[in-house]
Amino acid sequence: MSATAAALTPDLSPRSGERSAPRESLRAGIGLRARHHEEILVRLPAIGWLEVHSENYFARGGAQRRQLENLRAHYDVSLHGVGLSLGSTDPLNAEHLREVSRLLRDFEPMLVSEHLSWSSVDGRYLNDLLPLPYTEEALQHVAARVSAVQEALGVQILIENISSYLRYQCTEVPEWEFLAALAKQCGCAILLDVNNIYVNATNHGFDPHEYLHGIPRPLVREIHLAGHTLTRIDGREMRIDTHSTHVADEVWALYASALRRFGPVPTLIEWDADIPELDTLCSEAAKADLIAESCRAAAA
Amino acid sequence: MPPLRELQQHIVAHLFEEQTTDITPWISPDGITPVSRLRIYRNNLHEGFIKTLALEFPVVHRLVGEDYFRQLTRSFLKSHPSRSGDLHHIGAPFPSFLRAQFADSEYRYLPDIARLEWACQECLVAEESEPLDPAALRAVPLEHYGTLRLSLRSACRLLDSPFPILRIWEANQPESAASELISLDSAPDFLLVCRTTGRLRLHRLEPGHYRLLASFAAGLGLEEALAASLACDPRFDLGTALRRCIEHRVLARITFHPPRSIP
Repeated sequence: MSATAAALTPDLSPRSGERSAPRESLRAGIGLRARHHEEILVRLPAIGWLEVHSENYFARGGAQRRQLENLRAHYDVSLHGVGLSLGSTDPLNAEHLREVSRLLRDFEPMLVSEHLSWSSVDGRYLNDLLPLPYTEEALQHVAARVSAVQEALGVQILIENISSYLRYQCTEVPEWEFLAALAKQCGCAILLDVNNIYVNATNHGFDPHEYLHGIPRPLVREIHLAGHTLTRIDGREMRIDTHSTHVADEVWALYASALRRFGPVPTLIEWDADIPELDTLCSEAAKADLIAESCRAAAA
Repeated sequence: MPPLRELQQHIVAHLFEEQTTDITPWISPDGITPVSRLRIYRNNLHEGFIKTLALEFPVVHRLVGEDYFRQLTRSFLKSHPSRSGDLHHIGAPFPSFLRAQFADSEYRYLPDIARLEWACQECLVAEESEPLDPAALRAVPLEHYGTLRLSLRSACRLLDSPFPILRIWEANQPESAASELISLDSAPDFLLVCRTTGRLRLHRLEPGHYRLLASFAAGLGLEEALAASLACDPRFDLGTALRRCIEHRVLARITFHPPRSIP
């Protein structure tokens, strides 16, 4: 390979040795779970990057943290928060924010994200992601919170759309309008969870493609893919975002639509319950890469 | 519809099964009742909480069985809800909750088992620190021993119990067959839990040795610590105890009070 060709070819191999500056990778990444730490370190599979739940690494020491330090020498890492409770009407949790800030300093993540949701009030935490009503009041509230977080961390953060099992009567606009307005108002980016769009579209009855078209192109900086399950409640089908299985075929198809609209976006496979062998996660990531490659080829 | 804050307060109260305003008119039915929709979130709240506690307290879980553990942890959730976006903290008040529940019952040893399990959890995530170099201790001239203070590594916990909690803990590990009969009156336990090079170790200590480490942890100087250990065991031997401290990699630093420099 000539020097020019090498310079034009993205480096998709796992990194080795010293950390380089954070960069976004086009190859799909996987959500890092403790049971895979050692195996990834030994095998260094050819995946784009690793995403961690920030809260799992708040501890000052221990095997989990040390292994992430080791993995960081080989892979880019993104920090994905599940506990900041951005939509809560309590004061922002300063201690939690300090912990995230410390992780930013220690791990130099390529992306930092949180959810469009709330999970606590009056200091009581549900440790779950609850939807907000999509009202002007909620928009102004969350926009101020996201701005405060970005200021405290000194980086732009990505806000992710969640799966939800209820909608509020007072909701004024569809979720995609709310998310786009939030990003416009506070300058955050969007982590688009394509599985969550599909789950909500079927649970709440809207066209998932309308959602994609409601999000302005340059805002999407990461895509999540995960598996969900189907259950019956009150005699009706309900899709539950369990992160416990393979990405559904319909979600892969919607992913292709998303890539056609947004162009190449760093994509991540999440699998948090009934966690499979590492190879299964790597094949899901490879499948995302194949779809991304065919979308790139079609666009060219 | 109420303002956002009230909406959140009423939803949380509903999920915790407290008396609250009827919130169902605020939620769109869309073919599934609001109560069923809210039940999904209540279920997530319970399951996430119970699962986390079962991982942090596997021996308590095994001792009381799945059904009773669920019942206990649901009642614990109501009195001690999570106060953090990081679920890892919820187990901290679980031992004292169990103490209030089981003070005079056949399960009276259970709070101490929970204390032991929480000590393990704390050690597993404590800050890394190098154990004391034995050469540094040997280099201290005998005449300075009076002002010597020794601190413990952050990945160490001490706990004592009137019950044989280490044997109960060992007999209830995943690989153990649960057939051993352990008399609650057999002997009190004086334990050191310590994480060294990534591995958690549990040591049963002599009472005098335990007292020495407890004195170090409380910031006492060597002279006072030695006196306390001799008071609880007249045959206590400091040299043996310090050698075991080095073996267990429990000591962190040497300081002197008043401060002095080692020649």
